[in-house]
Amino acid sequence: MLELNNIESGYGDVQVLFGVSLNVQPGEILCLLGRNGAGKTTLLKSIMGLLPLKSGAIHFNGTALHTLPAHNIAKQGIAYVPQGRRLFSELTVAQNIEVGLMVQGRSNQTRERVLDLFPRLRERLKQRAETLSGGEQQMLAMARALSTEPRVLLLDEPTEGLQPSMVALIDEVTLKMRSEGVAIVLVEHHLDTVLNIADRVAFIENGRNPETVSAYDLSRTPEKVMQYLGVN
Amino acid sequence: MEFGPHFFLASLEGAVNAAVLALMAVGLSIVFGIMRVVNVAHGEFFMLGAVIAWWISTLAGGHPAVGFLFALIAAPLIVGAIAAAADHFVLRRINYDPERTIVATIGLLYVLQQTTLMTFGPEARPVEAPFNKRLALPWFEKTADGFSMYWPWGLSTTSYKLAVIAAAVIILIGLWLFMTRSRIGLIMRATQLDREMALAHGIPVDKVYALVFGLGAGIAALAAVLIVPIQQAHYLMGHDPLLLSFIVVIIGGLGSIPGTIVAAIFIGMSDGIISVFFSPTVAKIIATLLVAFVLIFRPQGLFGKRSA
Ligand SMILES: Nc1ncnc2c1ncn2[C@@H]1O[C@H](COP(=O)(O)OP(=O)(O)OP(=O)(O)O)[C@@H](O)[C@H]1O
Ligand SMILES: [Mg+2]
Repeated sequence: MLELNNIESGYGDVQVLFGVSLNVQPGEILCLLGRNGAGKTTLLKSIMGLLPLKSGAIHFNGTALHTLPAHNIAKQGIAYVPQGRRLFSELTVAQNIEVGLMVQGRSNQTRERVLDLFPRLRERLKQRAETLSGGEQQMLAMARALSTEPRVLLLDEPTEGLQPSMVALIDEVTLKMRSEGVAIVLVEHHLDTVLNIADRVAFIENGRNPETVSAYDLSRTPEKVMQYLGVN
Repeated sequence: MEFGPHFFLASLEGAVNAAVLALMAVGLSIVFGIMRVVNVAHGEFFMLGAVIAWWISTLAGGHPAVGFLFALIAAPLIVGAIAAAADHFVLRRINYDPERTIVATIGLLYVLQQTTLMTFGPEARPVEAPFNKRLALPWFEKTADGFSMYWPWGLSTTSYKLAVIAAAVIILIGLWLFMTRSRIGLIMRATQLDREMALAHGIPVDKVYALVFGLGAGIAALAAVLIVPIQQAHYLMGHDPLLLSFIVVIIGGLGSIPGTIVAAIFIGMSDGIISVFFSPTVAKIIATLLVAFVLIFRPQGLFGKRSA
């Protein structure tokens, strides 16, 4: 479905990715696991067209995404929850969701469904995004992305800095999206979460993807984690 | 004239000043706020608006209101289109790099100014106001039995000047509603807040920038059409409004529209009043000093947010 072929990319003259190949299928969660600075965020930004590819290709159901202008990527059905949330800070909760709905011209029905996933947001529709708590901001970042009704969801550390119940809520929504057939790429540092919800795990090391394994295999060979992350 | 009525008269002149300045400065502020472009050519878009208004009103003939109304619509559209083209062919090519856009818009300033000099000529040319009734104004004086009203000689304004103030207020309210209530306004604000996330949410940032640059220039042109029956069109008329709008935008806080409007009223009024009682030069000196103090003690402007 979404297929990355040997992509190289980076920031200006600084190359960060050196030939990464990955794919993710509908109803699958692919976790990216790697040390800080390995290039996970860079990878997601490259998929969204926010960084130009130096070489390689990204295809989504036959469409060559890397040839499209950045603002057309989301319209193909790809949604992005960036690291650090990056909400439209001075806009209200309702307006942030509105921006998401506009991407694919979704209706009120979508909006209601998204708000049902995060009832706390429904109580705060008129509140400015920057005044929300960290957990609420993360819910809003998810809600904004889900308002596009995506077929691919890119999640960059969505549970960073959240309390356990909030982590559980985000994981629950992620699993619900998987059950609805969304293809999910999840960047996640918590190993237990990874082992719990991932179908496959792609290691990212120094801008390369040395190995992709199933979560089941990974749970039986924990020394891999040691090898790529230096932890266990 | 006594001080009271004289001050009232000066305030009215100041209010006309402030009205036009508020429009100019809001145009500059929107462009800077959303695109992070310091548009040094903003005054030339103002000048073009006035020159085009003269041109249209001369072509139209008949009652002055006909040409004026036509200019009121056409001049902002023409100037907006020129600005959008400048965005597309110049600013986008240099990636909106802050230093290079300053140099590029300085270049644009001279291109527009010299082209106008070669075609329109060096003369100042008047545009007739669509209506211009002299209105005598009353004043109050304290007498033994309370206040009484009288009509001091020389205390008057024109219906057109009052209309300029009213028009500016209506345009600013309209702009505010456009920015806060409309879908395009939402898109523009999202782009301002996080350009990259706007792209990731399907917003064609290139088109938004062209629109914003055109909108900023169009507002300047609109301000010029309003003022040209009072001021005359001239190829160098963009300088003072540019300087004053920079002053206003810095004092109000870069990119803050409410701050810009408050600062425009303050600077426009005091510029008008000080010009009447002392001289225009003194007014500019004081305004420039004020900017210096703001830059030293509150660099984010009176209403701006301190950037992180
Ligand atoms: N704007 C930028 N300009 C230049 N280099 C950058 C930029 N952003 C990131 N980098 C560099 O690219 C490399 C990869 O960064 P990236 O953000 O992709 O890492 P990451 O895997 O997401 O790390 P983390 O787990 O800490 O989020 C790092 O060395 C980083 O310093
Ligand atoms: Mg990252």
